[in-house]
This record gives sequence, structure tokens and C-alpha cells, in this order.
Amino acid sequence: MRVNPNMVPDMLAAIQQSQATLNTALQQVATGKSVSVPSDNPTASAEMVQNTIETADVDQYTQNVSSVLSTVQTADSALSSVVTSLTQAVSLGTEGANGTSSAANQQAIATQVQGLLSSVVSQANMSYQGAYLFGGTASTTTPYTADPSSSSGYTYNGNNDVNSIQVGDQTSIQVNLPGSQIFSNSSNNVLGSLSSLVSALQSGNTTAIGNATTAVSSALNYVSQQRVIYGNTESQLNSQETYLQQETVSLTSQASSLVDVNEAAAATNLSQAETDNNAALAATAKVLPNTLLNYLSVPS
Amino acid sequence: MGGLNTTLLVGMQALDATQGAIAATSNNIANANTPGYTREVAQFSENQETDSGTVVSGGGVSLDGLQSVRDELLNLQIQQQTSQQSSVNTQSTTLQQIQNYFSTSSGNDISSELAAFSSSLSQLSAAPTSSGAQQGVLSSGQDLANAFNSTANGLTSAQSYANGQVTQTVAQINSLTSQIAQLNGQLTQSATASNGGGTIEDQRDQLVQQLSALTGISVTQTNDGETITTGNGSPLVMGGQSFTLQTTAGSDGMQQVLDSNGNNITASIQGGTLGGAIQVRDQTVPGILTQLNTLASQFATAFNAAQAQGFDPSGNAGQNFFTVPANAANAASGISVAITDPSLIATSSDGSAGSNGNVANLSAVLTNALPSGQSPAGSYASMVFQVGNAASNATSQSTAIGLNLQQLTNLQGSVSAVSTDEETTNLIRFQTAYEAAARIVSTIQQLNTVTLNMGTSGGY
Repeated sequence: MRVNPNMVPDMLAAIQQSQATLNTALQQVATGKSVSVPSDNPTASAEMVQNTIETADVDQYTQNVSSVLSTVQTADSALSSVVTSLTQAVSLGTEGANGTSSAANQQAIATQVQGLLSSVVSQANMSYQGAYLFGGTASTTTPYTADPSSSSGYTYNGNNDVNSIQVGDQTSIQVNLPGSQIFSNSSNNVLGSLSSLVSALQSGNTTAIGNATTAVSSALNYVSQQRVIYGNTESQLNSQETYLQQETVSLTSQASSLVDVNEAAAATNLSQAETDNNAALAATAKVLPNTLLNYLSVPS
Repeated sequence: MGGLNTTLLVGMQALDATQGAIAATSNNIANANTPGYTREVAQFSENQETDSGTVVSGGGVSLDGLQSVRDELLNLQIQQQTSQQSSVNTQSTTLQQIQNYFSTSSGNDISSELAAFSSSLSQLSAAPTSSGAQQGVLSSGQDLANAFNSTANGLTSAQSYANGQVTQTVAQINSLTSQIAQLNGQLTQSATASNGGGTIEDQRDQLVQQLSALTGISVTQTNDGETITTGNGSPLVMGGQSFTLQTTAGSDGMQQVLDSNGNNITASIQGGTLGGAIQVRDQTVPGILTQLNTLASQFATAFNAAQAQGFDPSGNAGQNFFTVPANAANAASGISVAITDPSLIATSSDGSAGSNGNVANLSAVLTNALPSGQSPAGSYASMVFQVGNAASNATSQSTAIGLNLQQLTNLQGSVSAVSTDEETTNLIRFQTAYEAAARIVSTIQQLNTVTLNMGTSGGY
């Protein structure tokens, strides 16, 4: 059979193909990616859409966890101060209720308890990064302001709502307790019981002082219980942070397996492509110039 | 038995025939690199023998003509494959452009912006009163709307590029068909028709192959030369007559292709640049664009509905975050952010400034299924898959057809291409033959002289 004498197109095609392979190999080594455009791997590209979004979300959840953690820790330490103040108030109340305590002594104790009350109020009005921690969701309004008409001397300006923050696709964590629940609850009113204690001490009625001290003591127990909620939130946030770290690792490794190139394989491919390209060029250079004319003597 | 003059005649015929063969060889060598050239082979035949009673002697040789060596069947296959390849190449080129809009490497594609929007909402959930976080949602919302706009514009411009290709290609087709018809006319009048066509047929084959790269054609041989029709049978060339295709703007502004009778044949055109451009313009791009518009429209509507469920930090009911054109066909290209004041984002579920209750509703739009049945990310991911898959299919098809075409071209070359080695060999062969024939003539001349001198005394 006659053979196609025109080898140029075949050889050009071979050179072009080896150059295309070389380009791909070079690009993969240079970028470290096996998928640069969707057509490189349509399935992986489609999966990467979800991966990109989840990765961004998990990053943000991680930031949310740390910012929420600071908020919760600040609230917890405020409540810790409140507990200390209430403990002092109980011991002062017990001292004042003692029959041996003089009237002047009771007045001095009343002043001290009044100081503790102010301290508790200032803790209740604690803000973190411009947001009041115990005002419910009304975080821009000072939760407790002095109000002589109120029995406790203070009025609550916040609301009873709570905020939950998303720290995972399906996980949101409650991050605040409204002041109305912690400080001015109808059954265990922290501010009310302290005010009563002050009034009782000022009046010098030992029975009233005793009753008021009992009320403060029960408010102390109540606040301690509420602190547990913050403690739980903190531990939830910590475990969520660990989970999110694992999630980041698994998303990164998924992304890597989808679009990243295997460095060793890419380097091998590159050197293989280089060899192929050299071979194609060398063969062309060797074969093309040869014709029968090279071997015929010029007619004399 | 013939006389010396008969032999002289045989020698001269041999000289003539060999000279013709050398001329063919030299023409072959001259056109070795001419595209579309088909090698020509000298056709020798024995002359009628002379019968002189008892002895029958050969009548010499004559050159019947120069036969072009071509395989029409191979040409047909090459035309078909050329049509297919040029169709997938056209589609591949457009899809390569389109898929860049769907690649994450730019960093401002829809998936990157969806991710940024989602994380800005999540940040807002942790700090609902922070003006930075509010601004973040507004900015990433604008970026997302811009990503929709630029992707839609990219698709539309690919579509109008393909539309331009349709008009240009039709003009090229008309120019080629009129040239082919002219050559058909010349060929029927030319003596070379019976010898494989020669130069005119080379030119026509070349033009027909160019035509097949522009659109899918069907070629039949008739007494009047080649009859060429489009794949669906609309005539392009019949004998010496060509039929022009026309374009006219359709109701959607896209150029429609009409045959010579004014029938709209756009939908039935397949193959070639024209078929590829029509496929991209009327099928591939609109398919993706429709999905993109649906996504933009449903996403904007769902997000606005989530806004309406809540209150901004000042306690007012949430207003629309996105503006989306009422005409769904412009949803992706026209989507924009409706608000300019970041404090209008409806973060609050109870009307108080610090509440983040409604942010969860806003975030949920990104993860919940839209009316289309898929989440925004899911429905975008399926578009990415379709675009990538179409581009990768077009490329691999082009490679496969390219290999096939290379094989066919090799076959055609093995039949029709000029081999300089072969021609050189032939040249030596014909040179020897010519020298030998010349020797016959000179020998007969000597013999004639000898014979004439036989009667003179001055002889031997």
C-alpha cells in the first residue's frame, strides 16, 4: 500500500500534542492545582462550590465562637463579682441581725450594704464592646437606672429576650440571660432583697434584718445557679471550637483532594512530558530533511 | 511487417509519451506543497498493432492523458468529519470563555461571593449592632449582585458573539457556493472531467472542504457536477447554479437563517461553524442563562421575604434587600442591592436593636431549598457542573474527531499526495525511457542513410 508521503501534518500534530501535555504538566506544577477551570474536572468543580461556602462559614463560626466566648466570660466574671458582693451582704446582714449590734453599727453596715448594692447594679449594667450584657436583646439601653418609685430603687429598661448565635450549620448557642431573669426576678430579686436589707438595717429591726438576710441568701443561691448556665455555654463553645477545628481540617483536605495536584505525580508528569516533547522534536528534525535526492548524484 | 518509417514513428511516439510523463512528473514536483493538489499519473496505452500479412508487430505507445488520483469516498468522509470538528471547536471556544466566569480562581465568581455573603451574615449574627458587620453584609451583598451581573453579561456576550458568527458564516457560505457552482459549470465543459478532474476538480474539492467546515453538507455526484445541499436538504449548489442563504433578525434579536425559498432552517442546521454557533447561541448558553436567572430571582425573593420577617435596629419592619427585575429573563443581569444604609438590614426579630433573631432567617436563605428544589449553592454547583462538563465534552470530542480526521487525511494523502521520492524515481525511469527512445530515432536515421546508400556505387 502507498504510504502518505506528507509526514509534516502528523509530525506537527505530534509536536503540538506533546507541547499541550507539557503545558498542562507545567501549569499543574506551577499552580499546584489540577483543576483550574470547571472543564478540568466538572464534578470536583461543582463540589468545590459547596466546599468554598462551608469553609467560609466554618471560618466565620470559629471567629464567632471566640468573640462569643469573650462576651460570655465577661458576663460570667460580672456574675462572679455579684456572687462575692452577695456573700458579703449575707455576712454583713447576719452581723446586723445579731442582737449585740449597736444602732450606729447597723447604720454603718447599712452604708456598706448600700455600697454592695451599687456595685451589683454596676455589674448588672456591665457592657462588652458597646453592648449591655444583661439587657436582654435591648443591648443599647442601660439595663438598670435608679428609680426612687421602685421598691428596689432601680427600674429594668431591657427586655426578656435572648440572642442565640450560630456557631455551626445546625448549632446555635444562647449567649445571654436577660437582667430581668438574673437580677430582678419576682421570686429571687437580687436588687430588691439588697434594698430591703438596707432599709431593714437602717430601721434597726433585727427580725426584719434577719428576714432580709435570708432573702439575700436565697438570691445568692439563685445567682449561683444562673452562673451555671454561662458555665455550660462556655463549655459548649469550647467543644464547638474543637469541632470546628476538625471541620476546617476535613474541609481543607476535601478541597485539596478535589482540586490540588499530587506534587510527586505532577513532577513526574512534567519530566515525562518534557522527554516526550524532546523525542517528538528530535524525531522531526531527523526524519523531515531526508529525501531520495540526498543520495542521488547530480546528473553530469 | 512495417518499414523503417513505421519503427521511426514508434520511436517518436515513445518520445512524445515519455515527454508527457516527464511533464506530469515535473508538475507533480512543482505542486508537491500546493494545498488540495492531487497528483497526476501519466496514462500510457499500447497502440493498435500493425498486421503485415504474416507478422504482427506492435504499434508503439500513446499517452492517453494525465489521470488525477483521487478517492471521492474518502473526500466525503473528510468533509463530514470536518463539519463535526468545526462545530465542536466553535462550541469549545465559546464554552472555554464562558467557564472562566464559573471558575473560582478569579475570586469574584458567584460561589466565592455566596461564601463571603454567608460568612458576613454569620458575623452579623455575633455582633448585630456592629456597624462594621452591617456594612460587611451590605458590601458582600453588592459583590454577590455584581457577580450575578457579570456572569449573566459574560453569557450574553458569548451569545451575541455566536450570533455575529452566524451572520459572517452565512456570508462565507454564499461566497463559497457561488464559486463551487462556477467550477461545476467549467468542469462539465472541460475535457479533464473524464480523467479525474484535474486542476478544476482540485479547486472544487478544496472549496467543498472549506464549505464543510462552515456547515454540515450533503454532496451527490450528478451529470451536471456536484449537487450540494445542507444536512436537511435545502439546496446550496445544483450544477452551475448556486442558492444563497439569508439571515434575518428573529423576534429575540438573534439572526435566523433562511434558505433560498425564505424558509427558516435555523433549527435544522447542524455541523460546521454555523451549526456550532447556533447550538451555542440557541441551546447551550440560553440553558445556563435561564438557570442563572431563576437562581437570581428566587434567591432575591427569598432573601427579601426573610428581611420582611424581621426589623431593622431602629425597630422598623425590614424592607427589600435586593431589587430584581420583574422580567425573569433579566433577573441575573439586573439584580442589585436595594438599600444603601447598612442599618436597614433586618437583624432584629423583636424590634430591639441588639436582637440577632432574624439574622438566622437571613442565613437560612443560603442553606434552605429555593422553590427550584435546591439550595442556592446546590443550584449554582449544578450550573458549574453543566458548564464544565459541556466544555470538557466539546474538547474531548474535538480531540477524538481530530484523530479520526488525521487518520482520514493520511489515507487521502496516501492516495493523492505527491511523494518527491516517488517523482524522483519516476523522473529517472522516464529519463532512461526517453534516452532509449531517442536512441531508436537516431538508429533508424542511421539505418535509413545506410539503406539509401545501398543503391549508389559510392557505397560499400
